[in-house]
Amino acid sequence: MTANAPGQVCLMQGNEAIVRGAVEAGIHFAASYPGSPSSQILGMLGKIARERNFYAEWSTNEVCALQACCGASLAGARALCVVKQNGLLCTADALHCAAQHGVKGGLVIVSSDDPSAHSSTNEFDSRWQALSAGIPLLEPTTMQEAKDMIPYAFELSEAVGQIVLVRLTTRVCHGRGNVALGALPEKPRALERVKEWDRMVCVCYMHGPALQKLEELRQRFEVSPFNHYDGPEAPRRLVIAGGTGCLYGQEALRRLNAGAETGFLALGTLWPLPEAYILKHLRAAEEVLILEEVDPFLEQAIQALAGREGLRVRFLGRSGGALPRIGELDPDNVTAAIARLIGASLPEKRPAGELELPVREMSFCAGCPHRATFYLLKRAMRQEKHPGVVVGDIGCYFMAGQSAGQYAYQVCNCMGSGVNVAEGLGQLTNYGLDQKVVTMCGDSTFFHTILPGLVNATYHNANMLLIVLDNSATAMTGFQPHPGTGLTAMGEAVKPMDIPKILDAVGCKVEVADPFDVVEAEKTLRRLLDQPGMNVLIMRQPCATLKAKERSRKPVRVYVDQSVCLGDGCGCDKYCSRVWGCPGNTWDFRNNKAQIDPVTCVGCGVCAKLCPSGAIRVEEESEERNRCVPAGADLTTKGGEEA
Amino acid sequence: MLSTIALDTQVLRPGLCTGCGACQGLCPYWGSVNGRTVCFFDCERADGRCQRFCPRMPTDLDALRKTFFPAETILPEIGPFLGLYLTRAADPSIRAGAQHGGSVTALLELALKEGLLDAAVLTRSQGGLNPEGVLVTGAEEVRACSGSSFQVPPTLAVLNRALKEDRYHRIGVVGTPCKTLAVYKMKANPLPENDNHAGNIGLVLGLFCGWGLDWDGLKALTSRHAAPERVSHMDIPPSKYHSLELREGGETVSVNLDEVTPLVRSGCRYCADMTAEFADLSVGGARSADGWDVDKGWNQIIVRSEKGRQLLDLAREKGVLEFKDAMEGGLEKLKKASLGKKRTAVKNLREHTGSEEDLGYLNPSRPLFEEL
Repeated sequence: MTANAPGQVCLMQGNEAIVRGAVEAGIHFAASYPGSPSSQILGMLGKIARERNFYAEWSTNEVCALQACCGASLAGARALCVVKQNGLLCTADALHCAAQHGVKGGLVIVSSDDPSAHSSTNEFDSRWQALSAGIPLLEPTTMQEAKDMIPYAFELSEAVGQIVLVRLTTRVCHGRGNVALGALPEKPRALERVKEWDRMVCVCYMHGPALQKLEELRQRFEVSPFNHYDGPEAPRRLVIAGGTGCLYGQEALRRLNAGAETGFLALGTLWPLPEAYILKHLRAAEEVLILEEVDPFLEQAIQALAGREGLRVRFLGRSGGALPRIGELDPDNVTAAIARLIGASLPEKRPAGELELPVREMSFCAGCPHRATFYLLKRAMRQEKHPGVVVGDIGCYFMAGQSAGQYAYQVCNCMGSGVNVAEGLGQLTNYGLDQKVVTMCGDSTFFHTILPGLVNATYHNANMLLIVLDNSATAMTGFQPHPGTGLTAMGEAVKPMDIPKILDAVGCKVEVADPFDVVEAEKTLRRLLDQPGMNVLIMRQPCATLKAKERSRKPVRVYVDQSVCLGDGCGCDKYCSRVWGCPGNTWDFRNNKAQIDPVTCVGCGVCAKLCPSGAIRVEEESEERNRCVPAGADLTTKGGEEA
Repeated sequence: MLSTIALDTQVLRPGLCTGCGACQGLCPYWGSVNGRTVCFFDCERADGRCQRFCPRMPTDLDALRKTFFPAETILPEIGPFLGLYLTRAADPSIRAGAQHGGSVTALLELALKEGLLDAAVLTRSQGGLNPEGVLVTGAEEVRACSGSSFQVPPTLAVLNRALKEDRYHRIGVVGTPCKTLAVYKMKANPLPENDNHAGNIGLVLGLFCGWGLDWDGLKALTSRHAAPERVSHMDIPPSKYHSLELREGGETVSVNLDEVTPLVRSGCRYCADMTAEFADLSVGGARSADGWDVDKGWNQIIVRSEKGRQLLDLAREKGVLEFKDAMEGGLEKLKKASLGKKRTAVKNLREHTGSEEDLGYLNPSRPLFEEL
């Protein structure tokens, strides 16, 4: 990542390529809040920050991150802000204001979109924010471009004094490809003292200059090295691609052997459009297919351009019915669209294999404390005279909306929304709504966006319960530190924020429970549900994955005594594997009894507390046993190859 | 249909649930909060003891009766009948804490002392409030359970747990008609592959019942008229008094029955059994034609089985119960009252199903109710 070896070719993930690009650009400052698919970027930057003499932080939220970058920019620093689609939307106000006041040191935002929402709740398209805020937008296709675009973006940003948005998608972030390294800056550019008359102030009269910057950018994009054209000079049929679609399009043209007569225009600069460059290839075209991820952003912009020029072109794309309106592009749907465009038949496709993979729903990990919390919450809600309303939020526990959390909640908006949605419902309990209102947040979310809502709900004394799922980690995105952990992105130990103290200072009633102590935790939960006003229950139990990382062996062995197990008989009906649903609780189809998967089980022992016939046993692991058995394996399973 | 969904859609949601607890204590799926039956999670079994035991799931009452009682003893109005007696506990200290004559307490103490029972599932309440099912294993624990409860606790959950444990093998049960019906459904062993040791059920003592009250509703009503924690006794005197009486620290507070009747559990409106027809002995307060006060401290007991008769004979022999000549026309009065409850239930069920023909859960026993 930090090798100064220009020309050396390395295999890199897209996220790594961005990091390398940032290092080559000589950034001074980087800030981010974790969000898939780009969480790794700041994690890596944090690790090399000291070596490369820049500052990197996991900010409390994306607004903090972007605004901190604005501050850095004022001092002439090159600042990189990394967010995902939702994070970018979080920054919308800050972004629009910053776009109006412009920047001094280069400020580049990398926003990663997640088409098909592999690890998101939605597949929003970041690109509209560039259009809306009036800032330039780049989108790489390959890992090389991802790396190269970062220094390019910083140069652009400083040349015109504007933020540059670089949009990535999951396949670019997580895909791997060859990257030829560039040179590293010899020494970091010095910061500039902020002068008395320096101005980065958002006022309305800056709107005009901001628009002028866009025009200047358009001129630069007309000759940008990130736009390419292949094909006949005046094609009748033209494919225009931005982002991931480029590679799929190239592949499809090769498969269909249609490269000679079909034009292929790959755009890396998506906004403002390099209009003259596009028109050069568009003028002769009769049919145009646009390949892009998520929304018909390019499609609409190029349609508008063609309309303005009076061209008679038939457009195919995301809104034209040639490509699916939702979900990500893939080689198949792009090939089908191109085959339709050129009137070719689809090439034959051989299945990769015969085996069908078992269908598995997303679930909490084995031993996850959230499973116990939502199990208890469902029980508590069912015990209410009128089962209550559960308001979800964003984190691992979003999965509680499915069987993992007993289909816990009726509503879930965006990150940090839970406490506010619950506040609204909680106020209505004074106006005839006779239901209990519960919401939850993780400890990272608590700092991210819950705090203002917490103050609001407490100040207005809403009748509600906020459950803080304190698992001491930002687990969903990969254990990034947050203000409650006492660590920073650069590995420094700092004083952790104490959530109970904060809650206490805000003035809500707070209790702490251990979700694994199911009996006591349920009592506490039900007691708080009965209390009027703003109540907070901290469910404290470290993330199972975090615990597993910290120890070399399981403390206990959990197993099923099948002679006692009722199986699917009346009185149980697979309570452990079907209702409790931990991946460690599996079903022995041979004996029609429950069993524990010793590889998956982390030994939390909660299922043993819930088994109606007491068939699940928890045994202390003996020293001897641990000596014989490799870590993570068990006598009843085949040992791993290394064992 | 899945068991939990069957009970939910056929019993709970339509408001038929009696809160008896027969579906509880068997598995992790069912529980109870303040008299409300709660399904925590769905069970996916097609059949289960919860729905087989439920007294509000369709029951062929005629067939069930014939399984346990000789056909010739069955009276259409009040069920199996071997005799009617007026009794009270001979021990005045039992009577002091009793609802009426303390006969049930005296009989149970006797049965436990004599080893006819090795445990009993009873209901303990505080002055008729906050009742709970309890398992007693010694005669000395019985008195704490004297007196009626006016809220309905899931006592049979305690029975189910005791049976599952298989530690006691002659477990007596005392309960209202809905509960004793469920107990006989358990005794009939509908799911032989998992009988929950139903053979461990011993003597069944039924309690006459008009209706039970909504848990939260009675709590609120009591708080309006007295300090609930100081209420030591509740009773409903004969209908002409039109009141519910609360005894608070030695004083009697009379509450107009109009305040009480809206609190009757919805499930009780569909109950066709006043005298606990499924039992070895059924016990209620005595009602004399000469006025309430005359027999106020007495019970009337219907003997329904030989086992019941043996216990009553033993009680007479040991001087545990005092007997009084039954009043004239007592049986006819009882039959009339019992038929009255059946009529109301049938009317309410017809209203509920919206059809003259459909008696809901009573349908398999249509012949019995056809004439009502």
